Amino acid sequence: MPEIKVTPLGAGQDVGRSCILVSIGGKNIMLDCGMHMGYNDDRRFPDFSYITQQGRLTEFLDCVIISHFHLDHCGALPYMSEMVGYDGPIYMTHPTKAICPILLEDFRKITVDKKGETNFFTSQMIKDCMKKVIPLNLHQTVQVDDELEIKAYYAGHVLGAAMVQIKVGSESVVYTGDYNMTPDRHLGAAWIDKCRPDILISESTYATTIRDSKRCRERDFLKKVHETVERGGKVLIPVFALGRAQELCILLETFWERMNMKAPIYFSTGLTEKANHYYKLFITWTNQKIRKTFVQRNMFEFKHIKAFDRSYIDNPGPMVVFATPGMLHAGLSLQIFRKWAGNEKNMIIMPGYCVQGTIGHKILNGQKKLELENRQTLEVKLQVEYMSFSAHADAKGIMQLIRMAEPRNMLLVHGEAKKMEFLKDKIEQEFSINCFMPANGETSTVATNPSVPVDISLNLLKREMALGGPLPDPKKPRTMHGTLIMKDNCVSSLIFFSDFGCPWLEHQLRFTCRVQLQDAHSDSDTHIRIYTHLKSVLKGYTIQHLPDGTVMVESIVIKVSSSPEEPNTKVLLLSWSYQDEDLGSFLSTLLKKGLPAALSSM
Amino acid sequence: MYEISSDENEFEDWFIESLKIYSNIHEYQLEHPTRVIEWTGEKNVCVAGYNLSKNEILELLLPLKLFADDNQGLCAERDFKVVHGGFTDGSIHCLKHIPGTRCVVTNDGSSSKLQVWDVGGDDCDVIKKTGDIHLKTASLDKGVKIDSPLTGNASVLHGSQVNDIQLTELTSGTPLYTLGTDIPDVLSSLRFVSGSVFLACSVNGDVYVGDTRSPSYLQKSPAGGREGNHWCMGVRADSSLPEPSSCSVARLSSSCQAVVSDLRNLKSPVCQAQLNVQRKTTSDEFLIVTWAPALDNCLAVSGFDGMVQIYNTASWRPELMEFQPIFIHRGHMMSDAHFDTSSSVVTTHVWHPSRPWTVLSAAGDGSVHVWDWVDNTTASSKSLA
Repeated sequence: MPEIKVTPLGAGQDVGRSCILVSIGGKNIMLDCGMHMGYNDDRRFPDFSYITQQGRLTEFLDCVIISHFHLDHCGALPYMSEMVGYDGPIYMTHPTKAICPILLEDFRKITVDKKGETNFFTSQMIKDCMKKVIPLNLHQTVQVDDELEIKAYYAGHVLGAAMVQIKVGSESVVYTGDYNMTPDRHLGAAWIDKCRPDILISESTYATTIRDSKRCRERDFLKKVHETVERGGKVLIPVFALGRAQELCILLETFWERMNMKAPIYFSTGLTEKANHYYKLFITWTNQKIRKTFVQRNMFEFKHIKAFDRSYIDNPGPMVVFATPGMLHAGLSLQIFRKWAGNEKNMIIMPGYCVQGTIGHKILNGQKKLELENRQTLEVKLQVEYMSFSAHADAKGIMQLIRMAEPRNMLLVHGEAKKMEFLKDKIEQEFSINCFMPANGETSTVATNPSVPVDISLNLLKREMALGGPLPDPKKPRTMHGTLIMKDNCVSSLIFFSDFGCPWLEHQLRFTCRVQLQDAHSDSDTHIRIYTHLKSVLKGYTIQHLPDGTVMVESIVIKVSSSPEEPNTKVLLLSWSYQDEDLGSFLSTLLKKGLPAALSSM
Repeated sequence: MYEISSDENEFEDWFIESLKIYSNIHEYQLEHPTRVIEWTGEKNVCVAGYNLSKNEILELLLPLKLFADDNQGLCAERDFKVVHGGFTDGSIHCLKHIPGTRCVVTNDGSSSKLQVWDVGGDDCDVIKKTGDIHLKTASLDKGVKIDSPLTGNASVLHGSQVNDIQLTELTSGTPLYTLGTDIPDVLSSLRFVSGSVFLACSVNGDVYVGDTRSPSYLQKSPAGGREGNHWCMGVRADSSLPEPSSCSVARLSSSCQAVVSDLRNLKSPVCQAQLNVQRKTTSDEFLIVTWAPALDNCLAVSGFDGMVQIYNTASWRPELMEFQPIFIHRGHMMSDAHFDTSSSVVTTHVWHPSRPWTVLSAAGDGSVHVWDWVDNTTASSKSLA
């Protein structure tokens, strides 16, 4: 039976890194290539030894697809392509291709320069890796080769995030990456058509949560900012680029307007440059017929938000500042932080994940004293707030997505099976489909029922029509016999025969089969024994024992041979033509069972 | 600027106001609405659907951020976690946790059968039914009210009418106590106040006191001709005492009257009030009145409309007068998607057993809210900072 195999790479129960292998129709695809942010050693990389024990991956993979720019989905890509070795195509959307290298370089700098690690990719490797990237547009089918095609769908979540459909022949798989089903202000919600893939692959991490509403998260953010400003404090919000930050800006602007607030709000100029870049990506990306459910406004026309100047850091009184970089590991946001950390009236709001080794990571772990490069210590007295604004699907969202795509099977990665049984039952009950939950390193095999598209040659058609007679009735199908030749689960050719009595049969097809028997008799005795056995079993068939020893049943030929080294092992060679296929199969199965011991010779 | 409708204005007003009136608020959307919220642990609640056919029972873990208190800033975890889930073939109108066990008992509101469930431990996330208890009830089509003694062996008190109140042992199904009376009044609430003393409130407002140690004991306190077709009851007992020396009993009527009595003298109410409610629904099935377990004189009512109202009874008087609530939770009326303020009715609400101002509420649109309200009226109120 044809089948699709899915293996999430990784070990045990660890979540926090995505790298999934899919084998479909003879093709091997790697979905995402994430870094595990919790480890400092080689465990943070996916374990590629599953693919091959040593050497490059190029010949084992047909392509690599990256769903979005978060490091737990793309962080190990340069390691995989340049240090392990892969020269094939890497697919991702345009915004992902633009943003990935920036994040990877930041990440590399922190890991190598700040933490002093050695087994890590270099700046040049990031560049070389990105040269292998082929960008994808939404809803556009891309031919990876003659048989493999892929298509990207909108996932929401972050700029450029995509869900991907992978198709070989009539078999297909959809991988969701990270996505959200409730629209948020600037990115909207994921969407896919009723593509009915054989398997829908999704993360199980959020499958058992029910998300707090967006408005409560926003309320909390406004409340914290408002409280700080009211007591005369300053609020620092380190951000990566004007993406999620844009939502917060719109929020603050509306609130400031409504409450007639006077305190100034700034964003740093570095942010403006990045924002321009981001804005261009954003416009071209979302112009592709995305649902327009989110607020459309010019990202830069804020009444209350102004450009920041370094000299304002020491200005007295309350203010709110958006500054890069997002993890406080360098630059302006760190500079501001150092000035403001010592005052308990101030606040820092971290809107996202911070990599280990950064100051952001340390203060989110509650560290109150920081050691800086110049041996100075910094006391952290300001209020630290960790707020997550990232848009993720939850239990309800997964059900919605399944309803949209109508997959034949569901597969959830990165979950503990015993903690997911309820969800599995729910999916199986509501949709009557199987739900697979492979552990990391474990392969799930999903049987498929591919349809085989059939063409007919022009000659055959012409000859058929030349036979004359009435035109065929489309309501009365005519049976034709044919043979499907498959290799490695791929259809390599289909040969047609017409029904009986057709004068222009051109192809001859013979099957051969070897059956091994343990038999101590001589070859010629074995021939006789076979003849006798078949004569008693197959009554009504023409069975002959030819002078050279060969036994024939109808047109099926059975010949016995043995090698001098192993006289007790006989090899029966069976050969039959296409027309006697049924009988031939029957005989081979029968003879595999061996010959009865007591056979009277005739 | 684009035109803002008055609905959006109302929502914005509430949103801005919410910064001051709640210290925390979380809002969730279940796939299907629930009319039960039952504590199964300090941080866990059970909810369940009430569709006519298939439903889910879920055990949810409350957001960790709520409990982080001093470290709230560092905890970003705001979501509910579904820790256990199961399926039922019928509706769930009543769900009760049996203290000291991982067991809950449910009833579908229209039959005399109780279902017993094992919510499950760490090794499996499926809630499984472990059995049914078929009851001999006087009325076969009314739902059954359930409660469980505060101490003692696992048993469940149930009844649909006063004359079929019974205490059944959970594992064996053996009846341990039957109330010997022929009063056919339909029950609206059943509540233990100790390991053996319980109160039963009938729909017409009469309150009965019974004791599972003596089947013949029954004390009746009539509602005394007060207005309202449908009454329900809320009880505040000091569960740390073995025998309830004092226990506040509140009765709520469908005409929005609340009557407060003391267990020691149920016949003469301590105080009463006409509540400031504009009824939006004609159904009485979701009416509920509760006492705050960790605050004095604090009463919450819901089921008239899309709000939960909190009253302070300390200022109430023996004669009937109108009083204003000290807090109103309007969140269920403020629907983001449609700004539809008319249809959603609050189906139930509960207080956290120990956190003084934490309340959970659910509504007919599937929303479940967890909120810490700010008491601006008393001197010792929590401030915003």
